[in-house]
Amino acid sequence: MNEKRYADALLDESYREIRHPSGLTIRVLHKDGYKSSFALFATKYGSIDTRIAQPDGSFRAIPEGTAHFLEHKLFESEDLDAFARFAKTGANANAFTSFDMTAYLFSCADRFSENLEILLDFVQSPYFTEETVRKEQGIIGQEIRMYRDSADWEVEFNLLRALYHHHPVRIDIAGTEQTIAEISADLLYDCYRNFYDLHNMVLAVAGNATAEDVLAVADKVLKPAAGKPAVREFVPEPKAPAKTYIVEHMPVRMPSFALGYKEAIRTPERTVKESLCTSVLLDAVAGRSSELYRRLLESGLINTGFDSQYFYGFGYANCEFSGESADPERAAAEIRKAVAAVRQTGIAREDFERARRKLYGRLVMGFNDVESVAVDLVESYFAGADLFERARVCREMTLEDVNARLPHILEDDTAALSVILPADGKEA
Amino acid sequence: MAQPELFTITDGVQLCAVQADTFKTGRITVQMALPLAGDIAAKAALPYLLRRSCRAYPTVTALNGHLDTLYGATLGASVQKKGEAQILQISVSAIDDRFALDGESVSAQAAQLLMQLLFDPKLEDGTFPQADVDTEKRLLLERMRAEDDDKRVYACRRCEEVMCENEAYSRNRYGTAEEIGSLTSARLFSAWREALETAVIRVVLVSSSTPDTVRDLLRTHFGPLERRVCTIDTQFVQTAQAVKTARETQALMQGTLVLGLRCGMRDSLDMDPAMRVAVDIFGGGTYSKLFTIVREQMSLCYFCAARLNSDKGILLVASGIETENEEKAREAILDQLRAMQRGDFTQETLDTSVRSICDTIRGYNDSPDVLCSWYGNQIFRGTAKTPQERIAEMQGVTLSQVRDAANHITPDTVFMLAGTGEDSHE
Repeated sequence: MNEKRYADALLDESYREIRHPSGLTIRVLHKDGYKSSFALFATKYGSIDTRIAQPDGSFRAIPEGTAHFLEHKLFESEDLDAFARFAKTGANANAFTSFDMTAYLFSCADRFSENLEILLDFVQSPYFTEETVRKEQGIIGQEIRMYRDSADWEVEFNLLRALYHHHPVRIDIAGTEQTIAEISADLLYDCYRNFYDLHNMVLAVAGNATAEDVLAVADKVLKPAAGKPAVREFVPEPKAPAKTYIVEHMPVRMPSFALGYKEAIRTPERTVKESLCTSVLLDAVAGRSSELYRRLLESGLINTGFDSQYFYGFGYANCEFSGESADPERAAAEIRKAVAAVRQTGIAREDFERARRKLYGRLVMGFNDVESVAVDLVESYFAGADLFERARVCREMTLEDVNARLPHILEDDTAALSVILPADGKEA
Repeated sequence: MAQPELFTITDGVQLCAVQADTFKTGRITVQMALPLAGDIAAKAALPYLLRRSCRAYPTVTALNGHLDTLYGATLGASVQKKGEAQILQISVSAIDDRFALDGESVSAQAAQLLMQLLFDPKLEDGTFPQADVDTEKRLLLERMRAEDDDKRVYACRRCEEVMCENEAYSRNRYGTAEEIGSLTSARLFSAWREALETAVIRVVLVSSSTPDTVRDLLRTHFGPLERRVCTIDTQFVQTAQAVKTARETQALMQGTLVLGLRCGMRDSLDMDPAMRVAVDIFGGGTYSKLFTIVREQMSLCYFCAARLNSDKGILLVASGIETENEEKAREAILDQLRAMQRGDFTQETLDTSVRSICDTIRGYNDSPDVLCSWYGNQIFRGTAKTPQERIAEMQGVTLSQVRDAANHITPDTVFMLAGTGEDSHE
């Protein structure tokens, strides 16, 4: 067994990373004084994985929404489903599928080992039949319809549909009622074999539990896997967005918008430094202490929900500004003007210092919460980084690093605007 | 973690302090409780207005810039209903001094800032500047509208309004759009004085340092005030009469069905904690009747959950359904209530429920935010019951107590937010 220890003295945290003989990587961050533990068993398989690599190096398409469908189905087994097993221990269990991962999780303050055994066992025990697949199609159909009624969800996905021509980040995570109708039990087994190899997965635990607690269960339950990580296909996107404007009318009272700038990327993944420098830059431009925020707020174009984010994953990256606005188009026009100006001048040193200090504080704050630590352990692992790299990069970052991002991002001809307007056109 | 300490600052103002060195942050929340009556809109706008600036940091930009330099300290403002009380809350979270890169005391500055926001706001000619009031009016109206756009939240709120139409509880915690639209700085100024001079106030501090600094700051600021503490009463309607129904249709894919029920409670502690467990077995966790039967076995909805509001003695069941299944879902939910009332659940289910509730409560110790809400929730009781003490109470609940609690529940109102089922979005 291969083990590494990582520590960050300034954060006063440390964790252990173990390469288990089964092929699984395990990361454990023990927190003294905490009662609860949070465990996340994740595979690098999300909604963007719509093509499976074949032995000859080619790729085969699978229906949109398969990763999410598989997540739902894994909770079932031949006898007792996973929810029923966790109910007996008192743990809080759940799962989620994002663009680039599927994760199964529980939190508990008692009977950790028992819970971890259930988690590792059910994720390693697929059980799919045509009948249960058909039943799930109905349940997920309801879930898809529920999201279609959420304006927050629609404004974001419409933006992705506008920005991207063919990258699967533009499709709904759960797929559509049509695409999930194509899913069969055999297909789920295929996907399971391809993506649920332990070499493609990670187990992260944060909180009261220790690495010894975790390993005792892992040694007992993990079945050695012979495979290797699943391969992802990188297909570069055109620089220009597919559409520059997309509007949808919904029964809402507050209009909302998301303005995105697509980044032309030559490699599929972003480094920690690229990501944090971009976040600092966006905060300096549009954060709550910025001139732009003040102007938009005072002119009635945004409210306090306005925010910016750097949104990226395998093969996609964009900068986003989003919020509610009585006049989304004017708000977007003002933001575009401010962004164009910053691209000329760069951000000022004092704005950089403020944004960097804030980011560092927020990174520190993230270590309070065992759930957020466990999620970060997984995300950093999949990104090939250690958990503390973000804090280190933030401490060392310079104004020049941040302004050096500008030539690569926020170009006006890469922008698209997504708007949700009230169906009756009367409000706001 | 140390036991919580309670300090009486002055008449009706309590500080509850929890010293803990496990966290990266410290947090202070100030809750000010007033009756859900009078100028509700002015009181609702107040925490947001106080959060936007103060004399020392007179603009949004200056105040937020100061927060950035305090390592991204966060200020929160909110308005909640707790029974028939309107609770105005303002809070600050900041990193513990140990993690500041330049060795300065962030926590002392954060506490100081919170006092400045509460007691030393930006005033012009003795009142709040009109321009600030106008912005906050707009933001409050938009906040109210945006909440209606979350269909689950909207349907629950509408159900409560119909159910409690003759009770103060039916009032929106933000007031009405008209009341907000007509707000003036004079009304906000008197809401500010009303809050400081008459509210039941609880401050909760979770920090690695001793409570001395915050306690002294509170004494200095509250000491000179002439306090006349308000009384807050919540009406508990124990039994529903004939079931009321209300219905709205919107161009939605999916419908939301909300059932409002009366729990038969005489006050917020009546039948506690058996009622809490009864509601959990009925529609709480993944082992509950609503989840396992109505959602999983009958596939009637993607979500179906019950939530107890012990401050008002009511219970809401919310469910996302296909509109055509309205009747089937309503009957299925009520069937499960009848099953609860027949005592159709085992000791094993009771154990599962108690274990799960206790597991969650045990974890409350792991978050400053949750600890602040936990102790803040005890504002009207004047207590500082720990999560551990609550667990001990939970573990004493028996089958017959749970069945008895379930038998006090009566359905009052059915609210249906129907969808047209068409995809009108394209």
